[in-house]
Amino acid sequence: MGMAKRSIGDWLADVFHLRDIPFMGVPSYMFSIEYWLGGVASAALIWQALTGLLMLLYYQPSDAYNSTMAIIHSIPFGAILSSSHLYGAYVMILAVYIHGLHVYFKGAYKRPRQFQWVLGVLMFTMVMITSFVGYSMTGDVLGVDAVDVGKGILAGLHLSALTPIFFGNGTDLDLFTRLLGWHVILAALIALLFALHFYLAEQNGFMPDLKEAKYKAPALLDKSDQRIKPWWPRNFVFMLGIIAMTWGVILTIPSILAIPQVLDKIPILFSPFPGPSPTSPQASLVPAYPPWFFLFMYKMADMPFPLAVDVSMGGLIPVVVLLIVPFVDRSEDLHPLDRPFLTALFITGLTWLVELSIWGAGQPGIPVKPLWLLLVIVPPFVISFAGIYALHFVWRGVKQRIINKAVSNSKPLPLNNKLLTAMGALVTAMAVIIMLLSFTLNPVTQAPFIGLSWGSLMLLFAADVFIYFNYELR
Amino acid sequence: MGDVNQSRRTFLKSLAIIAGASMVVGLLRGLEVLVPPSVGLTSFPTLQLVDENGNPIKASDVPVNGQKMAMFNYPLSNEPNYLLNLGNDSNQPVEIPATTVTIPATGKTYEFPGGVGPNKSIVAYSAICEHLGCTYPELTFYPPGVKALTFNGPMDKVIHCSCHGSTYDPYRGAAVVTGPTTKPLPTVQLKWDPSTDYLYAVTMIGPTIYGHTDDLSGGSPISGNSTSVAMLSNPALG
Repeated sequence: MGMAKRSIGDWLADVFHLRDIPFMGVPSYMFSIEYWLGGVASAALIWQALTGLLMLLYYQPSDAYNSTMAIIHSIPFGAILSSSHLYGAYVMILAVYIHGLHVYFKGAYKRPRQFQWVLGVLMFTMVMITSFVGYSMTGDVLGVDAVDVGKGILAGLHLSALTPIFFGNGTDLDLFTRLLGWHVILAALIALLFALHFYLAEQNGFMPDLKEAKYKAPALLDKSDQRIKPWWPRNFVFMLGIIAMTWGVILTIPSILAIPQVLDKIPILFSPFPGPSPTSPQASLVPAYPPWFFLFMYKMADMPFPLAVDVSMGGLIPVVVLLIVPFVDRSEDLHPLDRPFLTALFITGLTWLVELSIWGAGQPGIPVKPLWLLLVIVPPFVISFAGIYALHFVWRGVKQRIINKAVSNSKPLPLNNKLLTAMGALVTAMAVIIMLLSFTLNPVTQAPFIGLSWGSLMLLFAADVFIYFNYELR
Repeated sequence: MGDVNQSRRTFLKSLAIIAGASMVVGLLRGLEVLVPPSVGLTSFPTLQLVDENGNPIKASDVPVNGQKMAMFNYPLSNEPNYLLNLGNDSNQPVEIPATTVTIPATGKTYEFPGGVGPNKSIVAYSAICEHLGCTYPELTFYPPGVKALTFNGPMDKVIHCSCHGSTYDPYRGAAVVTGPTTKPLPTVQLKWDPSTDYLYAVTMIGPTIYGHTDDLSGGSPISGNSTSVAMLSNPALG
């Protein structure tokens, strides 16, 4: 009696000293996906670590293909485990691309965040390599082809001495033992770099709204800003929403693709399961595709150049360019149209990436004639540079007027209270029903539907969190 | 901030908590992913005892008094057993009578069917000590005149484990002679075909084989309808 009513949240905060966590709070306008793209990539990284460690309990390098298929067919929930690990990697790669592009266009690689950018580029290349290794670990025909291509690339770069280090002494056992080892080592290194990246992000703070920063680096949040509220509980709960949303997508997509009626119609590039064994007759029907995120490199290898040139142009040079961006562009301009050369270069590179990837999927392994090459390479280059420089001059004309206009605190129109509450109630009711229904499903034979239920539960929880935020932030 | 109403806020918060709890409860059964699919058999197979070249073992081929330790797996490939042709002090096979064996751990008893073969002298027992799972070469048969140092003093004609000192009497269904074990060695029931002199393993009798939740699970089945007998030197003979 007479005791003040304390919520569970307050109790948790007391017991675990959550209010003392030295993470930065943010102003309300930052509770938007735009400011949490790195969070999406991090959530995918956590999912990959969890599912990867679980698969470590079953994967056998001595019997790579069969043990992978056994995870899918004989382990309870194993099909969800392996397909969501694959799609977790896909989501992570997409999230990293989007995060990186967003950072570029906001100029967030500029001081004081140069080394956040450099770490990000390093993690990006490591994520690509880790995914490549993981993809090969299944030992299916695509994975084995990928390893052969990897060896060819090393040879093309005159780095054959590295082949035994990455791929072993030539025996299957050594190959898959090493792939497993490298996969785990690289994942651990990514986690290490992530910790550093996250630390710098916390210390440098979120990149504020560009208008507030007057489009000038260094763009910093004023820590005494009255709009900033503590990290606990707002950032924590929003983070849970972001994680649940990301995991929901990671579970939902491959589970839909794994439904038998759907699975038949899925191109092998996006299949949630490994392809045929390299020794099975069906293997000859499968084009020697790399994973989709390396299709561009596959098409580069069809170019009329030596392999070393293909690999340098497709991989090494772009990575080096990305690494030095913050040291080449040291201006204080944050608006992408104030940096027309780099912006045009990024758009050109991105267009080439998409073009080459689609081309690689459509015409795998067909040698490229020089004329085709020019037709594909030149137009995006010309259009991007001409277009961006034209926009650059338009922007310079109106820039001062836009900057001097007062920062309008425009918020998205809040939804009607009753509608919001009804949506929340509907979402929660669906969550409870789906949770109950999921218990009627068999973990081995009906795995795709359980995966779909779990994915939906996560998405529904995320929806409730975001509905709550829509109300809370008024 | 004006239009935030505390009770609506609490309601929305509760909705999120319920949805989050549903998510956690729904996902909890996913922990079953940790349980590996069980391997094993559904019933005891009848397996013929053969040598390492696949030729049938004859009852008359089984070395008397463990001059060699004859070892075979049954019913699963990780369940080794000793095949013993027991004899007297002058190494003449002796009849091993049926008897009732007590399991000291539970006080329960079971019927040991006795020896098979022309002299009813051939028996087979699990080669995994029921105390803490030691096997060949620690667990072995001590032939007449070769004494094991047991907690009851030097003894021969026993199966003794040098890991922790458990002693079993193979002449009486591998009943416990000295601890620390509290269970006899499980018996492999053998069948002898008098017309061919061939031997078959038919089933297991007695306590569960050490390290298994039941005799038929926790290992891969033996392929085919025979199990091969390896002839190993008897460590008790130095």
